Amino acid sequence: MIDIDGVALAYGGCRILEDVSLRVRAGELLALVGPNGIGKSTLLRAIAGAQPLDGGRIRFEGREIAGFAPRERSRTIALIEAEGPAPEGLLVEDVVAAGRLPHRPWWRWSSTPADRHAVERAIVRTALAPLRGRPFAELSSGERQRVWIALAVAQNARAFLLDEPTSHLDIKHTFETLTLARRLAHEDGAAVVVVLHDLNVAAAFADRIALLGERTLLACDTPATVFDESVLARVYGIPIAVRHEPGGLVLAFAVPPQRSAAV
Amino acid sequence: MISPRRSYRPELVALAAALFVACAALIGAISIGAVAFPFGAVLGQVVHPDLSTQAGRILWEIRIPRVAIAALVGASLGLAGMLLQTMLRNPLVDPYLTGTSAGAACAIAIGIAAGIATAALPLLAFVAALATALLVAALARTGSGISHERLILAGISLSALFAGIVTLVILLSPRASTSLSILAWLGGSLAGRGWSDARVAAIYAAIGAAIALALAPMLNGLRFGEARARALGVDVDRVQWGVVGAASLLTAAAVSVSGIVGFVGLIVPHVTRRFVGTDARLTLVTSMVLGAVLVVIADTVARSIDPPLELPLGVLLSMFGVPIFIYLSFRRRAA
Repeated sequence: MIDIDGVALAYGGCRILEDVSLRVRAGELLALVGPNGIGKSTLLRAIAGAQPLDGGRIRFEGREIAGFAPRERSRTIALIEAEGPAPEGLLVEDVVAAGRLPHRPWWRWSSTPADRHAVERAIVRTALAPLRGRPFAELSSGERQRVWIALAVAQNARAFLLDEPTSHLDIKHTFETLTLARRLAHEDGAAVVVVLHDLNVAAAFADRIALLGERTLLACDTPATVFDESVLARVYGIPIAVRHEPGGLVLAFAVPPQRSAAV
Repeated sequence: MISPRRSYRPELVALAAALFVACAALIGAISIGAVAFPFGAVLGQVVHPDLSTQAGRILWEIRIPRVAIAALVGASLGLAGMLLQTMLRNPLVDPYLTGTSAGAACAIAIGIAAGIATAALPLLAFVAALATALLVAALARTGSGISHERLILAGISLSALFAGIVTLVILLSPRASTSLSILAWLGGSLAGRGWSDARVAAIYAAIGAAIALALAPMLNGLRFGEARARALGVDVDRVQWGVVGAASLLTAAAVSVSGIVGFVGLIVPHVTRRFVGTDARLTLVTSMVLGAVLVVIADTVARSIDPPLELPLGVLLSMFGVPIFIYLSFRRRAA
């Protein structure tokens, strides 16, 4: 669905990624992992058309993303940024309804039946019905994340790009957020790309892993193939043990025993 | 905004209330003055203008144009302040504090001294307001966007500079009559203003308001921050140019008829948000209505305290505006 072809990216005038090529398929959840500052978010924003390319091209179903008009792009690809101000004085359903903005010509001020239908569907899809009348500002980070995803669903997008959606979440909300992301891929047939830091979470939820290392993409395949002890040790610079267990893949620090431990 | 479960919209009730207050303020302002008219006489003249009577001439040639200009000035400044505050997500900006009013005023003072035709003054004011806004934005820009502190600092510094230039123009002007007419206009007084003053300014204000209202849905997207707005397909650069252009047109319209009237653009958006929330479709319209109400009432007070003496409108509004500004800035720091 999304073809990334020999892409180079710059940040603050500096080349940070080169020759990145990968394909995101419809109906899969692809996790983008790699060390801090390597360019994961920049690559994600580039896929959304929010970051100019320094080389190469990115196409959505054969059409170059740079050629999409802003509103048309937002109807196709939903980017869910990690940071942003919490809107004041808005209810949950008002925030979700903002997802209809790219569907509305500038001269139409109010929502149509199609808008209302899309918002209802998004609220049901993300199980937000009990929260819909609550002020957004009162929600926990896990609930807010769910609202941002609902907003993206209301956009009627066919690709969802989530930038570190679980970074402030506990294990339960991480599970819920990524289960939702996975259902968007597996049940609705969307292409879902998620930037993640926790490799165990990535291994548990992703269909495929794209591992970014110094300046380029190192691997893009199933978790069992990408998470190789020698590759991870090279990328992260610390020893990481990979165990293949019946429930799935488990990655652990190989923490050296402490000499001054309590006796 | 969808709300299948909300049976009524409190924001719309607030807007309706504001409109009602505005009508009452307009009629009241037309009735009150050196010659007072009963409510029925005002209504009769509005429905059937009769310029053969003295009452008709006073109403149609003095009172009504003056109230209309007050409403125009108030609506323009209220909307300009609302636009700037919404776009910058900073409750402490308005045409006055960003220096755009002073820039426009400076251009008009020079224009009057140079003997430029009155009809061309709003254009001059618009160009100067736009140039000032861009200069202030350039000064306030840091690597990571527009700094709130630098914006206010740049606006106030430029205001001081422009005020200095205006004083210089007044002092150096060879003819006393020129100096007097600059001074009379600058104080923010509506004394002696008639239809001819309002006509050109009204066109500028109308274009500014039309641009502003066209931007309302996109300004709603900006409530979620620039990055999220872009993800929703909002062309942020176009919105910013639109807001700066519209605010400059509105400021030019207000300044060219009434000089510098401060703090309307600051206070009105605050009151508006308290009444109708943050939906730009409502806040833009409501800020126009409440701005008009505020200036119409202030102008009525200014000319009724001790007639025939008139207090300059700008002076009266500053008396109330400065304490409110101080209160708001301290509350913000405490929060």
